[in-house]
Amino acid sequence: MPDPNDHFLARSFEALQENVRRAGPAASAGYTLIGAIGVLGGVGHLIDRWAGTSSPWFLLVGMLFGVVVGFYELAKTVWKK
Amino acid sequence: MTTQHAEEVQAAGEHAVDAAHGAIEEGFNAGEVIIEHVSNSSLDHPIVQLPHIAGIDFSVTKHVMMMWLVSGFLFLVITMATRAYLKQDRRIPSGFMNGLEWLVQSIRDSIVLPNVGAKFVNTWTPLMLTLFVFILVCNVVGLIPMFETLGLFDRFVLGNSHESESLINSVLHGGTTATANYNVTAALATITFFSIMIAGTMAHGFIKHWKNLVPSGLAKPVYALLIPIELMGMFVKPFALTMRLAANMTGGHIAILSILSLVFLFAEIFTSAAVGIGVGFTLALPLAVGISALEIIVVMVQAYVFTLLTAVFIGMAINVHH
Repeated sequence: MPDPNDHFLARSFEALQENVRRAGPAASAGYTLIGAIGVLGGVGHLIDRWAGTSSPWFLLVGMLFGVVVGFYELAKTVWKK
Repeated sequence: MTTQHAEEVQAAGEHAVDAAHGAIEEGFNAGEVIIEHVSNSSLDHPIVQLPHIAGIDFSVTKHVMMMWLVSGFLFLVITMATRAYLKQDRRIPSGFMNGLEWLVQSIRDSIVLPNVGAKFVNTWTPLMLTLFVFILVCNVVGLIPMFETLGLFDRFVLGNSHESESLINSVLHGGTTATANYNVTAALATITFFSIMIAGTMAHGFIKHWKNLVPSGLAKPVYALLIPIELMGMFVKPFALTMRLAANMTGGHIAILSILSLVFLFAEIFTSAAVGIGVGFTLALPLAVGISALEIIVVMVQAYVFTLLTAVFIGMAINVHH
């Protein structure tokens, strides 16, 4: 009986698994960058609506914070040992 | 379009189904059909109407129904397989149980063990397995057009019209991906959010876990900057999980539906069904098949990535090194 690990489907599945395992943190960083801007911008927008400000200052501040947090998480992923 | 006709359409607009019907009369509206397909059913027309409890509408919409179906199916199948295995004398699993055992083992050894570490592997494997299997089956079920097939049976074999009140017609729009709804993935990510805290607290104690969030031994002004950033990062990470899963699941469906819409759009532009069918066979069908094949991979990868990242985050709370 041939080794079941040698079957090409098994091998390709393992290669896929390995790729996903390695790409996981990268995917996390990418979405964290967008997610941070989205979630903190959203919080800023809610504060704007609650406070009734005429110009969306909190939205802008929130998005700026989002950029900072997003890049911080990105840097942590990239420079992690 | 005459004014009278416009009024008629507007009057029908109260009912989503009638509105879609009106849209077909005045021409094929691809956007409306696609949005109607991917979005949750309207709260005015849920599949099962339930009363409000404490101001929350508990009606069963199509995404809720799909989630219940998936959880019920998984509960039955997995419990039955495990019970049958425990009852038999042989300790060697066979058939379905063999596959299940492979799944459990590979999740434990390739996802949980490398990230969480040997000490807590058995604490967190059940959660990871639940997340993985639930997300995977929700995703896969969304790819299988079972309710649409049921609709064809209803229409052409039983001969009901698409406005009839038959049971099949009321569940007809149920064949959707529950994980394409942001609320579902947000709930899953909330589980991740609290798991991270519980994992940190179990490993280091409550106070030490919060101290671990920021690296120790830095200058005081740096902390004023780092602590808010880390606190916000705590919320952002589960949010990113929410977005990725839901966006990937919705995106694939929209792509497939848009390509299939080409058939009707071309048929309408050239006012001939033959052109539409020709475009369908030469362009839309091959492309849709290709994207469906891609979707099968996406479905598996997204379930895997969600589980993997949950394990990574939990591992980061347990094995702190700065």
